[in-house]
Amino acid sequence: MGPPTYMGSVVDQMVIMHYGTVISLILLFYLVFYGFLAALFSFTMWAMLQTLNDEVPKYRDQIPSPGLMVFPKPVTALDYSFRVSDPESYRGYVDDLTKFLKSYDLEEQKNLTACPDGALREQKGPTYTACQFPVVSLKGCSGVEDPEFGYSTGNPCILVKMNRIIGLKPQGKPRINCISKGEKTATLSTYPSNGTIDLKYFPYYGKKLHVRYLQPLVAVQVAFNTTSTGKEVTVECKIDGSPNLRNQDDRDKFLGRVVFKITMHA
Amino acid sequence: MAQKTPEIYSVELSGTEDVGKTDTGDGKEKYRGLKDKRLELKKNHQKEELKKEVDLEDHKLSIKELERKYGTNIVTGLSSTQAAELLARNGPNALTPPKETPEIVKFLKQMVGGFSILLWIGAILCWIAYGIQYFNDKSSSLDSVYLGCVLALVVILTGIFAYYQEAKSTNIMASFSKMIPQQALVIRDSEKKTIPADIRLLSTQGCKVDNSSLTGESEPQSRSCEFTHDNPLETKNIGFYSTTCLEGTATGMVINTGDRTIIGQIASLASGVGHEKTPIAIEIEHFVHIVAGVAVSIGILFFIIAVSMKYYVLDSIIFLIGIIVANVPEGLLATVTVTLSLTAKRMAKKNCLVKNLEAVETLGSTSIICSDKTGTLTQNRMTVAHLWFDNQIFVADTSEDHSNQVFDQSSGTWASLSKIITLCNRAEFRPGQESVPIMKKVVVGDASETALLKFSEVILGDVMEIRKRNRKVAEIPFNSTNKFQLSIHETDDPSDKRFLMVMKGAPERVLEKCSTIMVNGQEQPLDDSTAEAFHTAYMELGGLGERVLGFCHLYLPADKFPETYSFDVDTVNFPTSNLCFVGLLSMIDPPRSTVPDAVTKCRSAGIKVIMVTGDHPITAKAIAKSVGIISANSETVEDIAKRLNIPVEQVSKRDAKAAVVTGMELKDMSPEQLDELLTDYSEIVFARTSPQQKLIIVEGCQRQDAVVAVTGDGVNDSPALKKADIGIAMGIAGSDAAKNAADMVLLDDNFASIVTGVEEGRLIFDNLKKTIAYTLTKNIAELCPFLIYIIAGLPLPIGTITILFIDLGTDIIPSIALAYEKAESDIMNRKPRHKKKDRLVNAPLAIYSYLHIGLMQALGAFVVYFTVYAQEGFRPSALINLRVEWEKDSVNDLEDSYGQEWTQYQRKYLEWTGYTAFFVGIMIQQIADLIIRKTRRNSIFQQGLFRNKVIWVGIASQIIIALILSYGLGSVSALNFTMLRPQYWFVAVPHAILIWVYDEVRKLFIRLYPGSWWDKNMYY
Repeated sequence: MGPPTYMGSVVDQMVIMHYGTVISLILLFYLVFYGFLAALFSFTMWAMLQTLNDEVPKYRDQIPSPGLMVFPKPVTALDYSFRVSDPESYRGYVDDLTKFLKSYDLEEQKNLTACPDGALREQKGPTYTACQFPVVSLKGCSGVEDPEFGYSTGNPCILVKMNRIIGLKPQGKPRINCISKGEKTATLSTYPSNGTIDLKYFPYYGKKLHVRYLQPLVAVQVAFNTTSTGKEVTVECKIDGSPNLRNQDDRDKFLGRVVFKITMHA
Repeated sequence: MAQKTPEIYSVELSGTEDVGKTDTGDGKEKYRGLKDKRLELKKNHQKEELKKEVDLEDHKLSIKELERKYGTNIVTGLSSTQAAELLARNGPNALTPPKETPEIVKFLKQMVGGFSILLWIGAILCWIAYGIQYFNDKSSSLDSVYLGCVLALVVILTGIFAYYQEAKSTNIMASFSKMIPQQALVIRDSEKKTIPADIRLLSTQGCKVDNSSLTGESEPQSRSCEFTHDNPLETKNIGFYSTTCLEGTATGMVINTGDRTIIGQIASLASGVGHEKTPIAIEIEHFVHIVAGVAVSIGILFFIIAVSMKYYVLDSIIFLIGIIVANVPEGLLATVTVTLSLTAKRMAKKNCLVKNLEAVETLGSTSIICSDKTGTLTQNRMTVAHLWFDNQIFVADTSEDHSNQVFDQSSGTWASLSKIITLCNRAEFRPGQESVPIMKKVVVGDASETALLKFSEVILGDVMEIRKRNRKVAEIPFNSTNKFQLSIHETDDPSDKRFLMVMKGAPERVLEKCSTIMVNGQEQPLDDSTAEAFHTAYMELGGLGERVLGFCHLYLPADKFPETYSFDVDTVNFPTSNLCFVGLLSMIDPPRSTVPDAVTKCRSAGIKVIMVTGDHPITAKAIAKSVGIISANSETVEDIAKRLNIPVEQVSKRDAKAAVVTGMELKDMSPEQLDELLTDYSEIVFARTSPQQKLIIVEGCQRQDAVVAVTGDGVNDSPALKKADIGIAMGIAGSDAAKNAADMVLLDDNFASIVTGVEEGRLIFDNLKKTIAYTLTKNIAELCPFLIYIIAGLPLPIGTITILFIDLGTDIIPSIALAYEKAESDIMNRKPRHKKKDRLVNAPLAIYSYLHIGLMQALGAFVVYFTVYAQEGFRPSALINLRVEWEKDSVNDLEDSYGQEWTQYQRKYLEWTGYTAFFVGIMIQQIADLIIRKTRRNSIFQQGLFRNKVIWVGIASQIIIALILSYGLGSVSALNFTMLRPQYWFVAVPHAILIWVYDEVRKLFIRLYPGSWWDKNMYY
């Protein structure tokens, strides 16, 4: 652009200078403008965070009822598959369970309170104590007697836990009820007996207040019938016995229930 | 039909009754010639094209040669078998109607035009993604199939909508065109006759035809059998198809029928001219390219980023779709269509009927108007314009109703003159029109006599009554050899027994017969000085392009001509010399009274008005001067030469502002010379132009990057109407060919309606800018979530379906509401926009919408989103990089910032709440965006916050739709809306206010520092 070079470079220079000024003005403007926007955004976010409570979220309406989750943590779908003869095939499951139960170690639980059974344990603060969860109540699935959690003997253990929800107070006598679906190819044993979840673990007061809280667990041990040909079972566990804990929702497949499948090869 | 009215006009087809059967054997060759011509037109070979201007030789042939050529006999005609053969070969005598685009093609165009292609690609990508998913995992969710279907549905629905809108406006057009009298040349029994085909005249008797629809000449042309001119349009021995015969009789031989007639050739020339893309279509295309370019490049950029961030290709495809959907303003094109049709309706109310919806805006960008004269600028009827008596020129009122005749009527001369005008006139009002205003009454008689009749009726009252009181005793009608008309009457004064002889005719002939002249009511001998005065007046009136008539009378002495005297017009037993000259009267087809004002307005709006007419240069120039196309103080080269008394060649062309160019001169010009002419002169009149030359002129204007409007009514205008960026036809006077070729029809034939059109067109352009700016803004707020989602791994802030609900839901009525915005300043005082420089969507508009307001909006919406998540348990810090865990179906115990655990569905529901929150955030800020878009320069408070009520309807609709979506349909999970807590609706309000304040500051600086870098970069 511009006239040929013989036109003296003064004009060109002026043009460039002017052009340069405008460019730098525009850059400066965007710097200020975006700086201002960033500051404003930070300020509003800060102001918004001030409205929050550190201990309890402002609203809990979206999780009125807890979901159920199982351990070992499934990789993709809730489908456990292993070979009794091949320890490598269930190594992952065993490690996962061991790791998960680490916090339930007797050593770890030393400082926790031994709470009386069968009643809600409402606390007023300022300090909140957590109840002990006697891992032995999980019997053969506690990992104490059998560090392989029954996988090596063909009686695999699955732990079922109920999601933590702050302030949740179950009514009645909540328990985890597991049944095998379809053909009766296996018998299920739940520990603690009857799959009971003790009320003393409720309510939960949140990560910050309720440090070292341990949520109650229920273990399911599968024993395949020797007669059955297929070593495959689909298990459904549901929360039972508590009117305010829902276990049936068309859309949420994990609300108060969990379904998983175990396939055992010889 | 010829037999019905033999006294007026007849076509004797030499024995054959069927008009359509007498065609030549060389029809095919002619047709081929026509095709060649069209091809050449496209190649723009000016000279060759001109040579072929009118493809007719028959007028040069003798009758014998004609007989041989057409294998017929002028006495017996064709045999019926021959005629049937010719009919079979050449088809019936009718014009081929213009081809119409099939409806299905129109529909499909809507389906693939604009953004549709992008959305189709999005839909197909969705299905492909599902296909891959399904291949890997049979139980994969159908979400992407649904999304694909929704996208396809959006395209189809918006396509159907746009098609429906267009069809509706076409229907409006159709219903209006029924209202337009389809036959401007009505065959009124026994008064006028339309010539049924091109005819070589063999014998004539005082035959006069009106060729105005063909050549634009407003005066009747006499016809005879002699070959008088090389140009078939000028020669007297041809009668043209569809022109009317006004008087006399003629017999002729049909030489061409249907499409092969001159009219047919012009009509097919018109259909051969390609329709230019409308400026707004170009602008919208430009805009679509920009948006699509942004969408595709951001989409691909982030596709690459996503892939290199180790996302699955499948997921990256889903992101790509999201980005495309967020970027494409799905509802915008439908909105534009609605906006245009709203304006079209508004214009139809003001008598501007728009045939092509896009042409609504074209008038607004028009920089040159090429106007036809006859019927457009003028009233298309002869009217008395000047009088000369008592050595003085008087001006008559030529406005449409003649109401204001102010010239001095006290003189005795006027009394005599008015008597002659009244009596020496054969025209009569058709009976039964008592209630019709005088100027609208139908008259039986030729144009001049009609003018005189109406003129005298207005001034003197009941002319018929006056004629009755002055009974006519003898009469010599006008003929071309005498060039005068004479009648003898009894006087209405019972005491005066003399006869009064009155005469009118060509001034020089009339003067020859006079020996005295009346001045101030007294007869004076006609001496050299009065003759000189007569000649000066005659020349002056003639110089105004007016047709001048002379009037004289003589009281026959009662002694020589007693009451019982029997006058014999054949032997002329009465004196026809030594009469008393009374005065001159001149007539013109006067300009419409609204035209000068309209021309001035066009001028101040920066629009050049050029006159292009088939009429004579003198008449054309006179009309151009009187309507202001040539302004009062500007001169042509010839004027200057005359004033300075030097030859034309010596005049410096720079001194002249105006130019009058004839078709003959134009013929010799090269395109470069024409360009020079068009740029050098600001006031140009083209006279004696042919239809082809009109085309050349329009093309010349278009070469200057001008947007050209052409107005016209005749068949001869139709090629130019078609070629123009916008062709404007006259609804009442216009021929069908002109109306077919035009994009717009002025229902009241009023040139002033064009000014309305310009105003509406400019307004719609401004308002479309606002609509587009409004619509583009939220694209960033819709796009940012995807980008942040990909880069920072937040749970998706807004879903694709939700975006569609903004684009096609809450935003639609507000963006239409902007079409109702009033102009910010006087849009008629600025120059027309430059086709290539002043774009609809320019860089400042895109930057300001995307990078300023859009970004602010995105931030505001993110605040709402973060608030919802934080108050439910997920603090912003916890959200970063949460995406993978968040979206895993198998994770049903995801821990939030407070130690609570969420199932997958609980998270999903929270995500939808986030969508709703983000949606509400955008919606609230779009209200502010809507308000700020009301103006581009002025403060909202200058414009008036409440002046445009529709804006408030739009705002209400936004809020109501959002409320329905959240609270009414919140339970329908497929829509991904949830019931939002009331307080979240107000989180974005401070941001909305900030947007308003920021824009006010922007406008303030633009007003304070015009021309500064701020103005240049921030004014869109």
